[in-house]
Amino acid sequence: MSKNTLSAQFRRVDVDALDENNFNDADADSSTPVGPDISAATRNKAEALKTVLQNPPLANSKDVKDQVFTAVLKVLTSHRSSDIEKSIQGLSQQEIDTLVKYIYRGFAEAKDSSCATLLAWHEKATAAGGLGSIVRVLTSLKTV
Amino acid sequence: MCLQNFSSQVIERHNKPEVEVGSSKELLLTPIIISRNEKERVLIESSINSIRVSIAVKQADEIEKILCHKFMRFMMLRAENFIILRRTPMQDYDISFLITNFHTEMMLKHKLVDFVIHFMEDIDKEISEMKLAVNARARICAEEFLKTF
Repeated sequence: MSKNTLSAQFRRVDVDALDENNFNDADADSSTPVGPDISAATRNKAEALKTVLQNPPLANSKDVKDQVFTAVLKVLTSHRSSDIEKSIQGLSQQEIDTLVKYIYRGFAEAKDSSCATLLAWHEKATAAGGLGSIVRVLTSLKTV
Repeated sequence: MCLQNFSSQVIERHNKPEVEVGSSKELLLTPIIISRNEKERVLIESSINSIRVSIAVKQADEIEKILCHKFMRFMMLRAENFIILRRTPMQDYDISFLITNFHTEMMLKHKLVDFVIHFMEDIDKEISEMKLAVNARARICAEEFLKTF
């Protein structure tokens, strides 16, 4: 085999890693680098819900997502069941979608205490967002 | 339940439920878990031509665990007649249904949905009834046995 370069470095490049089949959706988009500002704690629960749902960490590492998720869960569980409907009314369509995503994440990491409240939230959120918000959770590749 | 006929992208003339083979990411939807509490939950995985619904049933004590296991085993051994039943459950779940596009073409969609919901509603009742029956039988047996002394 002829050799017109002395360097054999190129042989060590992992070509398979650059293959388009190995393209990973999760790595690709980095639209919003930061999650919501959790530190901005508010007394008002509806306000707090709006704050945590803004600008969800879709492209961030697992740590950030976990952190935001615990914050959202805290807000959700601290609501009284009579306040849920009122808080949801203040949300935009996009925020409702994010809320439903978080609710499903809450189901996936179920703890006994949170499930009942999450079911209540789910009922109210889907009443407001319709089936569309559930389908958007199913089809979306950007997880929270 | 929007399922359509979809031939395998990998092997020609094959037609497999994509949720089982998982050959390509764009054919699968995000799996969803809905849970009533830590023990009772439902996992729904959907894809272009198939849906897999896995159910974890409440098992409070040993008897319920055994009963549930036996009952599910009984049904899964007869999965042929059950058509949409999967022969083995998913890991961590007690029973799985696999609904493909052929099933939705063959049967009424809303009836399939009704069946799965009906199954989930009844399974708890069924198992607690069986538990009561087992307990009652055990009591009668013990009484009969102890009469001789």
